[in-house]
Amino acid sequence: MIELVNFYLIPGIVLGCIYALGAIGLSLVFGILRFAHFAHGDLLTLGAYFSLVAATALAVPPLWALPVAIVATAAAALLIDRLFYRPLRARHSVATVIASFGVALMIRSVIQLIWGPQDRVFETGIRHPLVIGDFRLAERHIYIVAAAATIIALLHLFLTRTRAGKAMRAMSDEPSLARVSGINTERVVAWTWVLAAALLAAGGLFLGIDTQVKPQMGFNLILPMFAAAILGGIGKPYGAIAGGLVIGLAEELATVPIGGMPLVPPSYKSAVAFVILVAMLLWRPTGLFRGRVF
Amino acid sequence: MSPELYGVIMYAVGLLTLGGIYAIVSLGLNVQWGYAGLFNLGIAGFFAIGAYASAILTAPEVSSRISGLHLPIVAGLAMAAIASGIVAYAIGRLTLKLQSDYLAIATIGVGEILRLILKNEAWLTNGALGISAIPRPFEGLPPPWDQFAFLAFVAFLVVLVFVLLERARLAPWGRVMRAIRDNETAARAAGKDTTRLRLESFVVGSMIMGLGGAVYAHYVKFISPEAFEPMMTTFIVWVMLIAGGSGNNRGAILGPLLVWTIWSATEFATLRLPPEWATQAAYLRIFLIGLALQIILQKAPRGLLPEPTIRSGATGKQNTAGP
Amino acid sequence: MSVILTADGLVGGYGDADVLHGVDLAVEATDIAVIVGPNGAGKSTALKALFGLVELRQGRVTLLGEDITGAAPDTIVPRGMGYVPQERNIFPNLTVHENLEMGAYTRRGDIGAAYDRVYDLFPPLAERRRSPAGTLSGGQRQMVAIGRALMLEPRILLLDEPTVGLSPLYIEQIFDRIVEINRAGVAVLMVEQNARQALRLASRGYVLAGGRNRFSDTGPNLLRDPEVARSFLGS
Repeated sequence: MIELVNFYLIPGIVLGCIYALGAIGLSLVFGILRFAHFAHGDLLTLGAYFSLVAATALAVPPLWALPVAIVATAAAALLIDRLFYRPLRARHSVATVIASFGVALMIRSVIQLIWGPQDRVFETGIRHPLVIGDFRLAERHIYIVAAAATIIALLHLFLTRTRAGKAMRAMSDEPSLARVSGINTERVVAWTWVLAAALLAAGGLFLGIDTQVKPQMGFNLILPMFAAAILGGIGKPYGAIAGGLVIGLAEELATVPIGGMPLVPPSYKSAVAFVILVAMLLWRPTGLFRGRVF
Repeated sequence: MSPELYGVIMYAVGLLTLGGIYAIVSLGLNVQWGYAGLFNLGIAGFFAIGAYASAILTAPEVSSRISGLHLPIVAGLAMAAIASGIVAYAIGRLTLKLQSDYLAIATIGVGEILRLILKNEAWLTNGALGISAIPRPFEGLPPPWDQFAFLAFVAFLVVLVFVLLERARLAPWGRVMRAIRDNETAARAAGKDTTRLRLESFVVGSMIMGLGGAVYAHYVKFISPEAFEPMMTTFIVWVMLIAGGSGNNRGAILGPLLVWTIWSATEFATLRLPPEWATQAAYLRIFLIGLALQIILQKAPRGLLPEPTIRSGATGKQNTAGP
Repeated sequence: MSVILTADGLVGGYGDADVLHGVDLAVEATDIAVIVGPNGAGKSTALKALFGLVELRQGRVTLLGEDITGAAPDTIVPRGMGYVPQERNIFPNLTVHENLEMGAYTRRGDIGAAYDRVYDLFPPLAERRRSPAGTLSGGQRQMVAIGRALMLEPRILLLDEPTVGLSPLYIEQIFDRIVEINRAGVAVLMVEQNARQALRLASRGYVLAGGRNRFSDTGPNLLRDPEVARSFLGS
């Protein structure tokens, strides 16, 4: 039981939070811009590197570097949209999907050019875990989950209390009606990217703190993020949160040894998300919370 | 003949050989995308299945994995296509009813799972160690004839696949396929079994990709999971097809040759650089090919050779592929 | 009497094929203008063309005297033209109140009075203001759709088949509300399939067929015309 919590449940929740942060943005982009954004993982990587650079340059603890990373990642996302996605917007989504595939590679190669392929870590020093009875909580896990929860709460306020947030939800629901109501669709698109980038910067930072910062880090998450977004229902940011947690927990718990043998051998862990993904697409493409299908 | 000239000729031969192998794979993708509008992002997976199938069956005996069958290369190639076809059939039954973006996600996942299997099931594939000493046709001949012969072999396969696909394109099968691509509801209303036809296109295309993978394995003589890094293989084939002209079989040959030549030329250029620059240059090349794709998508989405237009009856409207 | 909206010689359609072959319309401030006609006559297309949602190859649209031909919706809306599409005319995942809020998106300043007006006009909405709009019944959804457009406090309201698919009770209610809206000072231009009922209210009726004007008169006059009744209004 103790091992279950310490080595599987908690990492599952932490991973789930990171997936959720990525999946929310992915779901919003899918819902508002109407295409599967394959460069989403690499934007997360970019967010992580920006955080690392900011934390090092400003000599502050990593979390304090987040606002800078958010601004930088948002700027990058807006630039990418302007250069590579906007010109293709009038066309069938296949063109933009392929373009995003290319953008993913471009981001990764730029990162490798600037920072090289080696792993890097955040300077957090040795921290003692918080011990409650037999349960051990690593300090970084605590503040990842807390920070993620805060960010999500802020997102909720944004989407339900601000005009911009409601306009985004409106556009995700019915884009042509949104236009007819006088909503400026390009501006909503810009907000979508800013929001997605902010969430990705946070996700990248957290993943970097929890593991390490390397050029492949975000790309490795793309399937779980898609799985989480589809599980939660496209265009439903809250569904994506639930989806992220489910996928994160599923990945970790699937490798729990039951009577000696785990359900899924650890080397196939990344297949878990995919299997869930395909199952959802076949059985219930609207997701658990009935999002869009198109 | 001067050694420089010899070097250049042999380089060109190698270039054309690999270009030809990619042409085979592109022709396979053209069947799926150009004919039937199927958005397959799992190319690397089928390519790998073909490579491994043929390698496992033909490479010499090794204790760490299933081996020692010593089948002739032709059998290996055939089995490669069949293996890819079987996997494609299974996957297609499950996923082809998904719409384009979702199919893309599903096929990426498939490619990923295949990669994991190749890496982990060492009893079959030797895992990360890979399979070596794969026989190559004509390797008994003295150089340079062995290379020339192999190139001729590849060229023969390219022409063979091309001719077969052109026949299919002009035949009723091809026309129905395009009808489904352009307007599935109308095709279904006209009584066509769209699911089965899409499945056929997917399977045939994957078989061709598998064949290409097998030829690749026999050419390089050593394969390991790294060689099938999904993003690069899948991505580059898509760039090749889009650049050459999706929907057009000539484009599916021209695109790969062109893109591969440029790709190799840039690699050749960077080999001249001092070592610390070399890795940087590799990333720069990837960046540039990504950028090239964006430019093509925005400025020339139909590629060099647009789909040959077939005027459809009453409206005389053109229906073409292309993102 | 002030003219709110005019359309002269509209020619256009989707892609290569023209649907409209020269349509003229005019709506004055006190009008309830109704467009009827057989299927495929171009009624909905004409409405969309006024709003810049359909490409016009020829023709001119003016709103309150200003030329708005081909202008983008988000520039037309603030000028006082509200539009209720036939389908997908609510935001299903937003609450009723949020739907209305989106209707007032282009307005600045206090819109509290606008909410009150809509809730007074459609009392069932007031009760369900916090429910997601997609959970409402067909008739109530139509109320949300119209309410959203009214939040703009428009000078003219365009409605595309506002009663399609509704039960007779709701049809009557919607028509009553439309009359009320018009009495409050909003010009109305609507396309309707329920031609007879709609023309009874119409101070201006247009019969469109084949993308052209065929008959124009007051609604009641059109109803009395045997030729119109026979050819276009069915039985």
